[in-house]
Amino acid sequence: MKDRIIEMLEAIHPGIDYETTGSLIDDRILDSFDVVSLVGDLMDEFDVEIGADLMVPENFNSVDDIVALIEGLEG
Amino acid sequence: MSYASLAFAGFVALALVLYYIVPARFRYVILLIFSYVFYVMACNKYVIYIIVTTVSTYFIARLMERSDVSLKAALSKEGIEKEAKKALKKQNKSHKKTLLTFALIFNFGILAVLKYGDFVIANINLVKLNVFHSTSFLGFINPVLPLGISFYTFQSMGYLIDLYYGKYECEKNFLKTALYVSYFPQIIQGPISRFNDLSKTLFSGASFNSLNMKYGLYRIFWGLFKKLVVADRVAVYVTNTIDRYQELRGVYLLIAVFFYSMQIYGDFSGGIDITIGVSQLFGVKVTENFDRPFFSKSVSEYWNRWHMTLGTWFRDYIFYPITVSKSMIDLGKKCRKLLGEALGKRVPIYIAMFTVWFTTGLWHGAQWRYIIWGLLNFVIILISTECEGVFGRINGFLKWEGTFIQRLFRVVRTFLIMSFLRVFDLSSAGISQALFVIRKSLTDISLPALDMMTELGLDEKELKAAVIGIVIMFVFDLIQRRGSVTDRLMRAPLMVRWSLTAALVIAVVIFGSYGPGYDSRAFIYLQF
Repeated sequence: MKDRIIEMLEAIHPGIDYETTGSLIDDRILDSFDVVSLVGDLMDEFDVEIGADLMVPENFNSVDDIVALIEGLEG
Repeated sequence: MSYASLAFAGFVALALVLYYIVPARFRYVILLIFSYVFYVMACNKYVIYIIVTTVSTYFIARLMERSDVSLKAALSKEGIEKEAKKALKKQNKSHKKTLLTFALIFNFGILAVLKYGDFVIANINLVKLNVFHSTSFLGFINPVLPLGISFYTFQSMGYLIDLYYGKYECEKNFLKTALYVSYFPQIIQGPISRFNDLSKTLFSGASFNSLNMKYGLYRIFWGLFKKLVVADRVAVYVTNTIDRYQELRGVYLLIAVFFYSMQIYGDFSGGIDITIGVSQLFGVKVTENFDRPFFSKSVSEYWNRWHMTLGTWFRDYIFYPITVSKSMIDLGKKCRKLLGEALGKRVPIYIAMFTVWFTTGLWHGAQWRYIIWGLLNFVIILISTECEGVFGRINGFLKWEGTFIQRLFRVVRTFLIMSFLRVFDLSSAGISQALFVIRKSLTDISLPALDMMTELGLDEKELKAAVIGIVIMFVFDLIQRRGSVTDRLMRAPLMVRWSLTAALVIAVVIFGSYGPGYDSRAFIYLQF
């Protein structure tokens, strides 16, 4: 899952070391346009529904945060 | 009963005495009784609307809770498959969605009919006349708008949406739900509190605390200063000037434009200070609604610091739900394919932003000038987002990135933009009046004459009091940047503390602008 998410992020915003970066939102590496695009891709890829209540920086600051978000929704 | 009146002070004093006399567990009941007395005094029989919203909010909340409990019981059964669990969750969500949709349609429906019914009818009649040349007009409803209907409807529906998302558990006590909806210090003009924030202290029945009293009273007097010394004083000039906008020189209109910014800030944030201060007397913590907005460096930053609870309401309950809705996600994907990644990904966000600003305009009033005002904010934010690169290059050329001069320029620019946009809010005669005022105030510049200023309601003494009041208001905001002014005051030597306290009280009593019969002007946001 992690590798697939990194691929998606690369497609939206290339040139970032997503493995190590832990402040994608706080450092404004991803803007709101990127996050909404990513949410669409994640919903399709993992067949989950990401509600408006989950649109908080803590869920998108790192790849691990995104993985945890998807796993939480799948569980 | 205005928050800035002696009657209200007496009302709060009586509520306080009873609040601290009764046992802690019943204190919220005192607040509820006083909230309903306050409401009935203001709205009489129209209290029925807030009761209807309260009852519907309570029962929908309980039904959603019951649905969650049933789900939990079903999921806890042994040997249940993962797929079955998923289906049960989906079913529960769908059931809660139906309940929420009903509550939203019902309550926003009431708001829509009462606040926007006549606006819709007027526009239908206009279309009938101009397009179909028909003169069989629909009759107006002429409803009485219940006090604070936008505020309590938004607050209650926010609570239900949070429950739908499962952010916290619902309130099982009907009386507590009723208090959350009707809490009197914030019913006139908000803030729009979140249940999980307000409920922590609203129902706890705080013990008497002298520090809370001191902080609360300081905050109330500071609010009164902003309202009575600044807002109500310049309001006289603003009203007189706008009434005679066609005959006056542009400079007087320009002064009115700036004074209106001060008026609305003093009036609204002053009212919120009173709300927060009064709440503090009861040990209730109400969310802050302003963060020194006139020191913002951009329009979007301004909106993150002005009427913050409305902004976050729109963000959480309109902006995000639109952007992550299935239809918008699908549209985004199509646009990314058609227009390319960079441009396509912008479409869903801008559609959501447009909706938010259209609604923000409409929230402020059922007139086209408010909608135009909202959409102009949207256009400015859109331009500033799209031109970020160009502005970056200009800043690079000027070599002033991060300097004080650049910050000052951006703050002044934002203040000017927001002040001129507010002309749409000020111009009760409509969009053409607003455009006329803006054009004339920018092109017909001359030195203002004191005689004319006096004629418009501000003689030399009044003008000095207004300007000094505005300067004090801004200096206070400037100091506030480095932490709470009240905290500093509390730490100050006794003499300094007493002197400043006396000065504040005297300023309110002596320099407050008291209208005819010592009745302060109604708060501007009361009409929303």
